[in-house]
Amino acid sequence: MPTLLLEVGCEELPAGACREAEEQLPALAQRHLGAAPDRVYVGPRRLALVFKNVPERTPDEWIKGPPEHLADRAAAGFAKKQGVAVEHLVAREGFLGVERPGKPLADVLPERLGAIVRDLSFSKSMRWDESGLRFARPVRWRLAKLDDRTVVGETSFGHRFTAGAVEIPHAGEYSERLRAAGVEPDAGERRRQILAGLDAIGGWSDPAGVLEEVVYLVESVEVLEGSFDERFLELPERVVVTAMQSHQRYFPLGGNRFAFVANGGEPELVRAGNEEVLEGRLDDASFTFERDVARGIDELASRLDAITFFAGAGSFADKARRLGDLVRTLGGGEASLEAARLAKADQASELVREFPDLEGYIGAEYARLAGYPEAVCAAIEEQYLPDSAGGPLPQTEAGKVLAAADKLDTLAVSFSLGHRPSGSRDPYGLRRAAIGLNRLAVEGGLSIPRALLPDEVREFVEERLEGLLEVPVEYVRAALAARATDLGAVAALAEFLYSERESDAFEGVYTAYDRADRLAGRAAAEAAPELDRSLLREDAERALAEGLAGVSLDGDLHKALESGATLAPLVERFFDEVLVMDEDAAVRANRLRLLLDVRDTLGRLGDFSQIPR
Amino acid sequence: MAAPNFQQTISALERYWADEGCVLMQPYHTELAAGTMNPATFLRCLGARPWKTAYVEPVIRPLDGRYGENPYRFQHYFQYQVILKPAPEDVLDLYFASLEAVGIDLRRHDIRLVEDDWEQPTLGAWGLGWEVWCDGMEITQWTYFQQLGGLDVDPVPAEMTYGLERLAMFLQGVRSAFDLEWAPGVAWGDIYRESERQWSAYNFEEAPVDVLTKRFDEHEQECRRLLDRRLPLPAYDQVLKASHTFNLLDARGAISATERAVYIGRVRNLARDVAKLYIDLESDADASA
Repeated sequence: MPTLLLEVGCEELPAGACREAEEQLPALAQRHLGAAPDRVYVGPRRLALVFKNVPERTPDEWIKGPPEHLADRAAAGFAKKQGVAVEHLVAREGFLGVERPGKPLADVLPERLGAIVRDLSFSKSMRWDESGLRFARPVRWRLAKLDDRTVVGETSFGHRFTAGAVEIPHAGEYSERLRAAGVEPDAGERRRQILAGLDAIGGWSDPAGVLEEVVYLVESVEVLEGSFDERFLELPERVVVTAMQSHQRYFPLGGNRFAFVANGGEPELVRAGNEEVLEGRLDDASFTFERDVARGIDELASRLDAITFFAGAGSFADKARRLGDLVRTLGGGEASLEAARLAKADQASELVREFPDLEGYIGAEYARLAGYPEAVCAAIEEQYLPDSAGGPLPQTEAGKVLAAADKLDTLAVSFSLGHRPSGSRDPYGLRRAAIGLNRLAVEGGLSIPRALLPDEVREFVEERLEGLLEVPVEYVRAALAARATDLGAVAALAEFLYSERESDAFEGVYTAYDRADRLAGRAAAEAAPELDRSLLREDAERALAEGLAGVSLDGDLHKALESGATLAPLVERFFDEVLVMDEDAAVRANRLRLLLDVRDTLGRLGDFSQIPR
Repeated sequence: MAAPNFQQTISALERYWADEGCVLMQPYHTELAAGTMNPATFLRCLGARPWKTAYVEPVIRPLDGRYGENPYRFQHYFQYQVILKPAPEDVLDLYFASLEAVGIDLRRHDIRLVEDDWEQPTLGAWGLGWEVWCDGMEITQWTYFQQLGGLDVDPVPAEMTYGLERLAMFLQGVRSAFDLEWAPGVAWGDIYRESERQWSAYNFEEAPVDVLTKRFDEHEQECRRLLDRRLPLPAYDQVLKASHTFNLLDARGAISATERAVYIGRVRNLARDVAKLYIDLESDADASA
């Protein structure tokens, strides 16, 4: 069976579009050609598929029509719709239908290749000519080859500046012919070459993760090394790294050296040019940095009332004031209060306007240069942590408090304005903020009162807690319904209950809760508002009431569980000896009350009805 | 071969694009923040009529001034703007050939097209294209317009906006725009450094906020009146003047972020209405022709 090559030549595709195409192409090939490609080549100027051993004909098709017994009524209409004469309909297993013999693959390729191109969908697409076709960037050539037969188009094209049209004599020679024309079509191979080049130089880093973009920015890989004037090392390190990575997609090598990937050209010239450009960028960043420093962080903070935090939620000055209040509520000390005042000052800096990623970091630098205590500066720097689900937490106390306040405020403001995340859309990073808040409580040991969160926000945040803890969700729900007043205590309780789930004490508490809840929970409306000891008639109910009064759930969770478990035998005896549904309504109401008190007392350890047995 | 000076580079581009059939236009007569805003681009890219043009445009961006102290930021610099409408199939090849025409050997340098999604909210305009890098230096913004004035463009024009200073800095191998040779013995800085200082002082310190605030309203009213009189060309000048007035107010720090969105919305509405009227008149004319 023959080898098939399909190639779609484009003007330079963005890296994101390349990745979208890479994901969709195998399924589209399957849909339109009924075969899975053996190779998928994706790069800035071409998308290509190679199939080894494709069938030379498309499969025969059987188009099923009406059942034979309805032929009188339906056959003519069906035949007309299919464009055949009624007498050409064929009966098969009781149905009439049309046999469509397969066609030579070569005959259908132009149309099938067109369908693949049409069906690729990109998050951003454009029109460029009268065809009205939409694609990530203009499509400029198509090529389809079956072995050595050219079915669509004429040639491929090599490297944009060093090679022109490239003959592909045989579909199976695609990649080698392109390599000879200065193009590495295989993204995986380009990635390997880039990594090999960087490793050969050594000491490279990629904090902003530009590698995956660079793989799709070049068709031929040349890893080069450059350096810049050492005077720029006086700039804060992340300013230098950001200038290298965000604009230029360079890889920092430490000190004044960097690596980058070229797509061609003479290495000496290209290196010199890139060094010039980077020094220009750094020079410019120095001017900007110096201007910010000359203003000073207090002056920057005073300009915050002119900068909107969020439409409808006031300025950054308002935000800073709210942060101060929250920090105070969270019990933050002097350093965190001072940090809250200065936390957003860098939003007024020119450097953050230029490089938004530097927020927090550069504010801390400016605070240091203004002579603020390190605790204040560190808190400013740590306010956005954790900035990813698994990212590091603030290390300082003031940093934790400020980080929690920042997230609380963002969540509260966003929810109050109706900006809830929906589906995959979460433009304000609210899920990340909620997870961060939980982690500050659980891992950071920060006390975050649940009452501090507006209802809707609390639900949203606590839902995230379910995913964060490594215990089954029922235990988290049980703990959430308990009377733990802060997020960390909820987590500790959930973990504790889960770790105790096999213990006798847990079993005892669970059973006592469960029995009390099953009987009295349904009849709660009939229960007396308060327990009346004078109405307790039986020994067993008096014993339970006494036992209940002696239960202490404060302090250590182990002791609390043990204490709660002392009710187990008393509840058991109660159910053995006492008839709750007494004829005397007052006695009945009192007994229901007693059971509800048992349930609610034990319920402070968790809503055990959430936990299936 | 000696590096071309600034005016030679401009001449080379003029010659090249004239040979490609472009109408060589001259800079527009009022302040523009980008060559795109020149009616030779914004208005002529609307509608169905083919159009090819190339011109130098001095762009005025008050907020970007640095008193002539920073050699990378100016409130006044130059773009070279090329429009090919519709975009021919070999439009990128034509563009690359223009780089050769100004003296860049494409095989010796690393020329790259890096994704750039262009958007100009005040004009209700967007397109997709690239930054063109030459050895890491961005020398051109390259865009296939998709919408102008909130209207889909058809046919799709290609816009090439060369940053003339960047391009010349690359060609001349100098680090600062001030050091560019403009003509033999005359540097870019000789002509514009003092002007940067004075204009920065005006833009940041002297521009009269109350007068400008009033002026913005007047330009808006005048634009509306001219739209009513079905005169989109003069109306468009009022859009440009309103836009520049807004930029000055912005440089004076007189506009909060919330107000900014409102101002931008007002200019965008004007631009959209001008665009609609322009197309209406043009299609009427084409229909009766």
